Amino acid sequence: MTRERTRLVIGVVVTAVYLLPVYWMLNTSLKEQAEVFARPPALVPVPPTLAAYQSAVFGDPDIARGLVNTFVIATGTTVLTLVVAVPAAFALARLRVRWVTPALLLFLAVQMIPAVNLALPMFVLFGRVGLVNTYAGLIVANCSLSIPLAITIMRPYFLSVPGEVLEAARVDGCTTFGAFVRVALPVSIPGLITMAVVSFLGAWGEFVFGLALATGDELQPVSVVIAKLTNAYGTRWNELMAVSAVVAVPVIVLFVLLQRYIVAGLTDGATKG
Amino acid sequence: MLFVAVTVVYPLIYSVLQAFQDVGLREVIRGGAEWVGFANFADQFGRAEFWQALWLSLVYTIGTVALTYVGGLALAMLFVHRFAGRNVMRALLMLAWILPTVVGANVWRWLLDGSYGLLNATLRGLGLIAGDVFWLGQPGPALVSVIVATAWSFAPFAMILLVAALQGVPATLYEAARIDGATTWQQFRHVTLPALRPVSITVMLLIFIFAFKTFDTIYLMTRGGPGGATLTLPLYAFQEAFEFRRYDTAAVATTVMLFVPLVLSVFYFRSLRNEEAA
Repeated sequence: MTRERTRLVIGVVVTAVYLLPVYWMLNTSLKEQAEVFARPPALVPVPPTLAAYQSAVFGDPDIARGLVNTFVIATGTTVLTLVVAVPAAFALARLRVRWVTPALLLFLAVQMIPAVNLALPMFVLFGRVGLVNTYAGLIVANCSLSIPLAITIMRPYFLSVPGEVLEAARVDGCTTFGAFVRVALPVSIPGLITMAVVSFLGAWGEFVFGLALATGDELQPVSVVIAKLTNAYGTRWNELMAVSAVVAVPVIVLFVLLQRYIVAGLTDGATKG
Repeated sequence: MLFVAVTVVYPLIYSVLQAFQDVGLREVIRGGAEWVGFANFADQFGRAEFWQALWLSLVYTIGTVALTYVGGLALAMLFVHRFAGRNVMRALLMLAWILPTVVGANVWRWLLDGSYGLLNATLRGLGLIAGDVFWLGQPGPALVSVIVATAWSFAPFAMILLVAALQGVPATLYEAARIDGATTWQQFRHVTLPALRPVSITVMLLIFIFAFKTFDTIYLMTRGGPGGATLTLPLYAFQEAFEFRRYDTAAVATTVMLFVPLVLSVFYFRSLRNEEAA
């Protein structure tokens, strides 16, 4: 019993120290500019103020536009990933398709390729077909990584649908597509949620494609806008932290709500052979 | 399949082909480039900057793997035990892993700030440093800093995989060791570590691949500086392409980058298969 209590104390301390950077971000974002320069720094913002959020997030058209862009890109990526990956995963799980094993290996290998390796040739190739500096180009680039991951996550769910059930649906007059929509999809909802969230989060935080493929200001995701403004912020750390917090909040909310799906997706997607 | 072929395989092949061509800004705009065989490779392999970037990549990657593994294992050893709130804490730690890198990188820059950063304030309070230390402004400390920031986000991921493995170690092994009079350290050294070996190899390979391709954390924290001290291969390739408009030599760098994960992937798949067989 005492041992359990010791572990609890150590656990709390370790978790608190580990998440100190996250706390420090929120703490700083709620401070006045003058408080940022306090030595030693205040451990809690007194009084807390939303001034930095006002000036840096809502009062800054670049950041506001960046957030909108990020949202559009992440949503587009999620939708396109669902549209492509769900049928593909079903086909790879249930239909007799050749090259299943090599395809799965390829998808797993894609996750090991550095994003820079794709971003550089994409910049040249997309330039030829007019995709540089378009939402479509950024979404396609993000999908190049999210779709293989999504298929890897999704396929086991379709595999777990018993073949007899699908057979029965077909005997009852369903087409293959009908069996897919009416039988396989409903039982795979946890998988769908996982892959949608993982795709969204991946695109939400994405940086390299945005940096390479959004050459103009208008379409840059917020991650790139922050990087560009880093020098402009100088010592306005409270504003930089406010922007960072706004980028982090949707991730934190999704994570709290859908924690088990995300952890399962991120660990399985990377390790399932 | 088709989508992946178009968006991944084609750009990769195209990029490898570029490495054998003479491609500057003019060729990119107009199309058409001259084939130059291995000239770009010869050029790169003769340049000190290229070798420096490759060397920094290896130092950064190996440092990150070591720190992530040790940190992840320590966390796993703690959080494998049952106690109140354990699952909540385990989940909270995962936040570090899923937070967008742009957030993590900027927070770390702020923590490490020379004048007003929390780290220096703490160190000053403890009397360990007197004035300002600019961690990201000096070559050695900058490299260590980006390693720490990367390992901070990777370690919870390693923890999850290692906790699962620790749960699989039969309790009877520990009992037997205790009966034989093994100390806690000896149990760890002779029971835990050997039992974790297959998973440890998997985790280290994965982290190696993740770290080797890291671009955003480093770019956001140091831009490869100061003086190229954190200019790893991905940043080097990006700089060649987007600052110097030398697409051909950038392609050489990315082609080299492709080989490292390729070779490691083979090991990785083999270790997965062994794990399943065992």
